[in-house]
Amino acid sequence: MPFDDASDVPDDALLVLYANGDGAAARELAARHLPRVLAYATRMLGGDRAEAEDVAQEAMLRLWRIAPEWRQGEAKVSTWLYRVVTNLCTDRLRGIRRRRAVALDDAPEVTDGAKSVEVGLVENDRMTALALALDTLPDRQRQAVILRHIEGLSNPEIAEVMDIGVEAVESLTARGKRALATALAGRRAELGYEEGS
Amino acid sequence: MQDSDLDDLFATARREPAAVVSVGLMARVMADAEAHQPRAAKPLAAAPRGGFWRGALSAIGGAGALAGLSTATLAGVWIGFAQPSAVIAVTEAFGVEGSLIETVDVLPTFDDFLTEG
Repeated sequence: MPFDDASDVPDDALLVLYANGDGAAARELAARHLPRVLAYATRMLGGDRAEAEDVAQEAMLRLWRIAPEWRQGEAKVSTWLYRVVTNLCTDRLRGIRRRRAVALDDAPEVTDGAKSVEVGLVENDRMTALALALDTLPDRQRQAVILRHIEGLSNPEIAEVMDIGVEAVESLTARGKRALATALAGRRAELGYEEGS
Repeated sequence: MQDSDLDDLFATARREPAAVVSVGLMARVMADAEAHQPRAAKPLAAAPRGGFWRGALSAIGGAGALAGLSTATLAGVWIGFAQPSAVIAVTEAFGVEGSLIETVDVLPTFDDFLTEG
């Protein structure tokens, strides 16, 4: 490895190193991005870890493939990955819903309650409630809310990821937040939010 | 649910530790990386050895260059032997008699050396 501390090397440069045959650069890129990619995919897919791992692997595979043609300075690797994961998750969700719709014909007794695991800690309760509420949002709103409020991307970055304008992002996040507030309205006390807090 | 409650929920979600990547997933991702890593181009195989004429032909640039070279050679030989009548016509047109042209023998011919012994 020609450099001592890989953490100082920008993503672009690591991609070039990888494309030039440096295996350690791939390891560093995976260490940097895979956890975030996996977390985002898991959230997008409503907590389905196995599907999320598949998506994360596929997203990284696309990064390896595009490495030789990567144009430096045009896009951030993280933004590019968010975009790929968003598209992959949208496709998967479409497939999952189709399968679920078919399955529902045979077994109509499927409730969301089965998904919520009772845990003693308030924080876990809150995260479960948030995940379930996010699941009720339309895909685009959920993507925008997760990217803005959980992944911490800026509106222009989200616009790039979702291939829409900044105004559309603002509208999606605002509507998504309102819908979340409505979905969680009945659980306020249950989640430990006191009146007036 | 108030906005501040939602913000608190988001903040909690952001504080959650990043997803733990399983050893299996990391291994699969690294295997993909290795499989799709561009390989350095293979060194070119040594050119097959040819005979002397093949070498000479490629040294001057192939069959096309050989044809050009032959044409130029033949043209040179023809120009050297042929009577330069066109040039004579030009000098006559200027009214210069062949005998009037003073010539300086820069390089004496061999005959002079021979006669002097």
